[in-house]
Amino acid sequence: MLDVGRHPNIKLLAYSELEKLTGEAGNFTATVRKKARYVEEDKCTGCGACREVCPTPVIDLYNEGHAERRAIYSWFAQGIPSTHTIDPDHCRVLTGKKCGICQKKCQAGAINFEQKDTILELPVGAVILATGYDVFDPSRIPEYRYKEIDNVVTAMEFERFLSASGPTEGHVYRPSDRKVKAEIAELENKVRKSLKGLEKFEKDHGMTSAEFYAAHQNGSLNPTEALEKDRDKWLERYSAHLEHETPLLALKEKAKGFKSAKKLAFIQCVGSRDLRFYPFCSGYCCMHAIKESIIAHEHDNDTHSVIFGMDIRAVGKGFEEYKIRGGNNSNIVYKRSRVAEITKDADERPVVIYEDTKEQKVKKEPFDLVILATACGPVKGAGKIAETLDIQMDRFGFFKTDPANPLDTTRPGVFVCGCAHSPMDIPESVAQASSAAARAVQAVMKKTDQKAS
Amino acid sequence: MKTTGETIVTKDILVLGGGIAGIQSSLDLAEMGFKVYLVEQLPSIGGKMAQLDKTFPTNDCAI
Repeated sequence: MLDVGRHPNIKLLAYSELEKLTGEAGNFTATVRKKARYVEEDKCTGCGACREVCPTPVIDLYNEGHAERRAIYSWFAQGIPSTHTIDPDHCRVLTGKKCGICQKKCQAGAINFEQKDTILELPVGAVILATGYDVFDPSRIPEYRYKEIDNVVTAMEFERFLSASGPTEGHVYRPSDRKVKAEIAELENKVRKSLKGLEKFEKDHGMTSAEFYAAHQNGSLNPTEALEKDRDKWLERYSAHLEHETPLLALKEKAKGFKSAKKLAFIQCVGSRDLRFYPFCSGYCCMHAIKESIIAHEHDNDTHSVIFGMDIRAVGKGFEEYKIRGGNNSNIVYKRSRVAEITKDADERPVVIYEDTKEQKVKKEPFDLVILATACGPVKGAGKIAETLDIQMDRFGFFKTDPANPLDTTRPGVFVCGCAHSPMDIPESVAQASSAAARAVQAVMKKTDQKAS
Repeated sequence: MKTTGETIVTKDILVLGGGIAGIQSSLDLAEMGFKVYLVEQLPSIGGKMAQLDKTFPTNDCAI
């Protein structure tokens, strides 16, 4: 990634979109809109001082919605370019409110609320389409209750949990427990505020609020004139305080029993190899599940994983060995099954209902966390991309290619690689990307020769 | 860029998408001496792979 930012032959246009492509192979004109970041790219040093003072929290999609970022942000810590960006939908200044604290804090003077989108006209000879994929939305399978049960997550969400730079710093905490902890933090804040409100009364009258309340309740309160004056207000504030403190204590008691998730269920083929959605195999999810279980086991040796799949497809160099190693060393059990339904027990634990095909029995088993291997689907907006580039899509929304020239789209000079082509894993994407580069070179060289002669 | 008669032929190449595939294509082309425009819609490149903690089958870091 760093090499891309540094290479003299690469002009990196991040936060930009292709709007139009005219011309023909060897002689295209690409119209690219470089969206306003409201931060000057040549001035921003990426120090993050602006981010620290920004008052507006926004849900962080890089962390799959399990963390918060600010309205001024970098997509992720090591991102290239490291230039920060202001989110125009959430920034206070850009939504017409008063703020601008980032501008005051920025020592480089990089913040520019007046910045506008710029349109670039680029003459190019060939185009490589590497727009990737989007995962299947598992809430389309109602029996898996994704979003209904907190502890049912997707493989990408789980990936963020496992990451040391992720929302849980690499510890596998259950989302339901994190929710309770967030509630505790919120209540603690409220209690701190209400305690401050009580402080003055306690100091003035020389007793704690609890003593005052008890005396008031059993009628032993000897009100002085000053206390008589404050009594109603004090009572009102104290009961408001109790309203926060009582649930806080109960939640704290509950949180004492929280442990990290140790029993994991991986459910394969969520949306893929399923005639209701995508009939094809996504190719990488079996290995992804094995990898996640191995990493979770490396992090905490008490972790046990069950991978529920129709079959484990470990097709690739070193993959089968990896699968066997996971089973032998990382407490992974492979179960041949298609999970029918996920329900929830009293302790927020997801209960997996499945048929054990070996024993020919329907079973129910509770887990700490269920991870759904969501299918690889076409990228959101694939239709718009196809329209802009004037190319065709297949019936699922991946870009159509010619069987004899598998990286050529329906428009000469436009090539496709990676998951924009079809679902594939990283090694295959990399290999295909190199092939697409070679095809693009062939296209421009051939054109150049023809025109020159 | 070469001008032959009325047609302009350019060897520059546009790569759409800055995930692992786009990055690999761009680097290959750049190393071969071609000028590349790499267009990414998000604020930084890296794509889905940048979200991954480790990759199979070697458990290497993704970034």
